[in-house]
Amino acid sequence: MDYLAYLLPLFQPQVLWAIALGTLGGIVIGALPGLTATMGVALLIPLTFGMPPVMGINMLIGIYIGGIYGGCISAILLRTPGTPASAATVLDGYPMARNGEAGKALGMATIASACGMLFASIVLATLAPQLAGVALKFGAPEYFALALFGLTIIASLSGDILKGAISGCLGVLISCVGADPISGVLRYTFGVSGFASGFSFTPALIGLFALSEVFTQLERLGRTEETPAKVSGRWPSYQDMRESANALVRGSLIGTIIGVIPGTGSGTASWISYNEARRTSKTPERFGTGYAPGIAATESANSAVCAGALIPLLALGIPGDVVTAVLMGGLMIQGLAPGPMLFETRPDIIVGIFGGTFLATIFMFVFGMMLIPIASKILLVPRRILTMSIVVFCFIGSFAINLNPVDLYTMVGFGILGWGMQKYGFSQAALCIALILGPLAEANLRRGLLQTGDDLVAFVSGPITLLFLGLTVISLALPYLQARRAKRAAA
Amino acid sequence: MQRIGSDVAVGCGLLAFSAFAAWRSLGIRGQSAGTIAGPSFLPWLMIGAIIILSLMLVLRARRAAAAASAEAGSRPAPVDHGGGMKRRDLLRIALFAAMLVAYSAAFMPLGYLPATLIVFIAGMLLMGERSPLKFFVLPVLITGAVWFGFTRFLQVWLP
Repeated sequence: MDYLAYLLPLFQPQVLWAIALGTLGGIVIGALPGLTATMGVALLIPLTFGMPPVMGINMLIGIYIGGIYGGCISAILLRTPGTPASAATVLDGYPMARNGEAGKALGMATIASACGMLFASIVLATLAPQLAGVALKFGAPEYFALALFGLTIIASLSGDILKGAISGCLGVLISCVGADPISGVLRYTFGVSGFASGFSFTPALIGLFALSEVFTQLERLGRTEETPAKVSGRWPSYQDMRESANALVRGSLIGTIIGVIPGTGSGTASWISYNEARRTSKTPERFGTGYAPGIAATESANSAVCAGALIPLLALGIPGDVVTAVLMGGLMIQGLAPGPMLFETRPDIIVGIFGGTFLATIFMFVFGMMLIPIASKILLVPRRILTMSIVVFCFIGSFAINLNPVDLYTMVGFGILGWGMQKYGFSQAALCIALILGPLAEANLRRGLLQTGDDLVAFVSGPITLLFLGLTVISLALPYLQARRAKRAAA
Repeated sequence: MQRIGSDVAVGCGLLAFSAFAAWRSLGIRGQSAGTIAGPSFLPWLMIGAIIILSLMLVLRARRAAAAASAEAGSRPAPVDHGGGMKRRDLLRIALFAAMLVAYSAAFMPLGYLPATLIVFIAGMLLMGERSPLKFFVLPVLITGAVWFGFTRFLQVWLP
């Protein structure tokens, strides 16, 4: 009965408006190449500062869901994925658009995204409370092992493990700026009082993911832009739907599972789902030629990741992917610390998030289908105006949280750092997640050492600690083993 | 090959940064309250890790460069420290970054409207926009609309 009462605030007009607006904004942001869902969430976190928690968080979730879906629009019409999550959608989406079936391709992508999200939302509402129940029994050593696992898996999954690890270590070191969490001793503040509580998290996120994109856009200025394909039609045929059913179910399942694993993300899920759909298809040769099941496989998987990635964030306080890491910033500025305790102390927020995920999915489907006829117009926004507007939003957003001008320098500094990292192949995601998990790892490591009298054995005993440490070793060793196997196969 | 050259430069930059961080870590004072893990424990651990990983990055890049030049005969590998970027693009980005630092400094004393307007117009010109409608009229409208939206609807105070 309580749960129904917790859902009621979602149906207040201003909350529905916020979710609808967030989802629509997310679709537009995701559709524009170069603007990602991560950037959209980071940029709009400050807007939610003054909102009630359920309204603010669900608006951000709307941007996330809309942003991941929106990536398919430019993937299909321009052959340029709006977000990395939609890279695999290009394979069948663009050939369909070239064959005059752009509307049908967008329709299939919208239906598949909505199915993937709905499936993953049900899993989220079912699994997250169970996982949180287990996590409530964690002590300092377990939390340290969990944070260590989160850090290493993100480093190991960021393409180049060495650069991922450097990015992670750099993030932990940067997170040490300010007062130390146990004794309050100031570290690396250079006498600036504004740094006493460390770098403000949201301006750092805005810099890392939004301002860095501005620099990237500056580099791309001279490039000629493709003209989007013309759109006609909207709904896939019955035969398309029948052929795509298996890919859709499998994609939703793959996306949800991958979303739960910290550090993987939508891009990985859509590629795995695409390969699986082709491998198990009776007509694998049709994939890549403009075949609807190819779109169903990728879009159902990348959208399912959105809700899947919320599971470790809400239940363990560990972000499932980089967007949820940014989303964590949105929860934190509302004064909420994601993790098992949130299920005990604020069940209204948790149930509100579950309900909001469903609502954002419905809005995504409605807006997605409605926007299909004008989808190509979205892609014609003038680039220079857009770039400068993002700069203005970055500044206002960073300033509005604490009304502190030091945050502006923080944002610009992290923007330059993020652009440099992106340019030289380092992982912004690993740095961002290390900024979050660094303090968690340090506080629990040092608290654990204090409690046990520097007994390091406590950190390698107990089934949960051993499980996470084992997973840490596997996540570090796996890329090396895979590289060795690939080298041996090539030889 | 460009990535190999830049990896050596980035690795060396990280080593220099680690030396700086180590110097600053020497100044961290505080009681470790009977435990091995005081306030400087994690910073030292991370500095050590960054040094080791940076050395690995430099060595990996050198080894890859040697392998690549051996493959291409005895021709030495070209080294590019700019990640393949044109000088003009680099200059534009440097100017843009300097403009953003100046914007941060001017945001409070000048106020949102004049500071943003100047930066918006300067940014549009820097990006090569020459149509007065786009580099002047639109920035005035957007800056004003954003100010109105944030201060009136979202109740955000702007200087």
